[in-house]
Amino acid sequence: MERFAELLIAAVLLAGLYATMAYGLGLIYGVLRIVNLNHGGMIMAGAYAGWYLHAALGLDPYLSLVLVAGAAYLVGIATYRVLVRRLPRGPAGGVQSLLLLFGVWLILRNAAYLLFTGNDQTLRTSYSTLAVGIGSALVSVNRIAVFGVAIVILIVLHLLLTRTYVGKAIRAVAQNPDSCTLVGIPVERIYALTFGLGTALAAAAGLLGSTLFPFNPGFGAAELLKSFVVVVLGGLGSVAGTAIAALILAVVEVFAILVIPAYLTAAVGFVLLVLVLVFRPGGLFGQRVLG
Amino acid sequence: MKLQLPPWVRPRAAIGLLAACVVLAIIPLFHDDVYTHNLLTLTFLGIAAALAWNWLGGYLGQVSFGHAAMFGVGGFVAAQAQLGLRMPMLLSWVFGGLVAGLFSLIWGHPTLRLRGPYFSIATIGVGEATRLVCTYWDWFTGGSSGLSLPMQTNLKYQLYWYGIVLAALTLAASYALRRSPVGLSLLAIKSDVDAASDVGVGATRLQDLVLFLSGVTIGICGAFYASYFSYIEPGDMFGFDRSISWVLMGVIGGIGTIFGPALGAIIFVLLRQYLIASYPQLYLGLYGLLLVLVILFEPLGLTGLFLRAVRKARPDLGVSSAAAED
Repeated sequence: MERFAELLIAAVLLAGLYATMAYGLGLIYGVLRIVNLNHGGMIMAGAYAGWYLHAALGLDPYLSLVLVAGAAYLVGIATYRVLVRRLPRGPAGGVQSLLLLFGVWLILRNAAYLLFTGNDQTLRTSYSTLAVGIGSALVSVNRIAVFGVAIVILIVLHLLLTRTYVGKAIRAVAQNPDSCTLVGIPVERIYALTFGLGTALAAAAGLLGSTLFPFNPGFGAAELLKSFVVVVLGGLGSVAGTAIAALILAVVEVFAILVIPAYLTAAVGFVLLVLVLVFRPGGLFGQRVLG
Repeated sequence: MKLQLPPWVRPRAAIGLLAACVVLAIIPLFHDDVYTHNLLTLTFLGIAAALAWNWLGGYLGQVSFGHAAMFGVGGFVAAQAQLGLRMPMLLSWVFGGLVAGLFSLIWGHPTLRLRGPYFSIATIGVGEATRLVCTYWDWFTGGSSGLSLPMQTNLKYQLYWYGIVLAALTLAASYALRRSPVGLSLLAIKSDVDAASDVGVGATRLQDLVLFLSGVTIGICGAFYASYFSYIEPGDMFGFDRSISWVLMGVIGGIGTIFGPALGAIIFVLLRQYLIASYPQLYLGLYGLLLVLVILFEPLGLTGLFLRAVRKARPDLGVSSAAAED
């Protein structure tokens, strides 16, 4: 029972990170109908950025979060303006956008390898080893902080999408870009902005993840898959749906350790993805478009 | 007796393929440069694999980033069949290919049913998961130390001709899969699955068939590779960059075209020899850069460039880029 509570807490805390990570992917897919395969690359870039700022300037990862997310936002906008915008839209563009963004990911991966070698890195802070007791379980302070930050990010996103003009415009474009043009919403700008936002979320999630897990230039591939599982499970764009889906994935992953050998846990996310795709292709809560 | 070709086979294409095979088959009789000989063999292997990837990625528009999973399964199953069951080489190749094809159906059948990019994303997971699991299952793959096949004198040299046959067969299959009535169905599925189903195209069956054929062929390529190097290990067989290399061959040559990926494979193998071998730390980034550039400037790759040149030289022919699609 004690172990059960411990694992449950671990799963809930992990779910916050998964939700942040997945929301970035879901946002871009919901609005632009493009799967950002560079999502994994930006998660990795965020991790390295946080690690580097900490190692070189002694900046606390939670302070550099704003900086890294801001920079990633600009990178996202640039990626959209320079590359993604040139692709044809619709089903024919699907393959091309996958390949293009995959290429960008490979370049980022190689850049990280050249700059920081392929070795595993860890971000250690003075509070990395601190822990507090919750009930009978000992929980790392850092994990709680990651969870807290993730929750704040999600709430801000929810407010942004539902309460602001820009958010409403984003949701409108997700529903019907042609009508948006008619009523004077700058669709191109909304696309760029959304791409930036999704990219910023990826980098933020990567930075948060770097305080928990060791990472190397290949970091992000498994995270991309997990994000995708959450997006498929939770449906597009609903913050609550994403959170619940992230929780389900985290619980399944954490508890899988009890019943299957550790080397198979890498396949858990994938098996879950296939099961969801087969049995609930519209997501657990039906298809919804942002909001 | 007169040989009857199906109406969709152009005699010129059949003769061209046969002639190319004959020329390639007698080339080694005129030189004894082992380096060129080996490079050509690897090119044949690349051609076969790139074409098999293209059936799925090009003809059906379902890009796979994890085909190395089937390559590895085919290779290791064939190796185990030769070691454990004393199977003859060719039979073990077929056996490995069939197992790889069935394996591809297990994960591909459910994910191919969905619209959009689900399949492609799933392949990233399949590739990684297969690599991890197979590295761990050392009864199957020998773990990270790999498997050694018994050395046979001269086998490596002889595999050149097996390679020609393999490449020629996949090329013929590529031609058939595009030009035959099945090819039209595939084109319809690629454009719009629902509409295709509405007019009576068995989308599910055909998608699975193409996936299976692609898996079998890649599996046979893996088995060929195992016999060729007589030593295989999971990190190399299931490697991520192996999957990427086929994506790149397809993109360079022209996704969805009949001969493009074969051309892409030739370019790619040469590129790897002369460029990437000298900059081993840069190869992944170079792959990425190539992908980005080709997709941005000429989505049909070399085939697109070729068509553009033809259009410029002979505007009267009215060649459009759609010509590459049929």
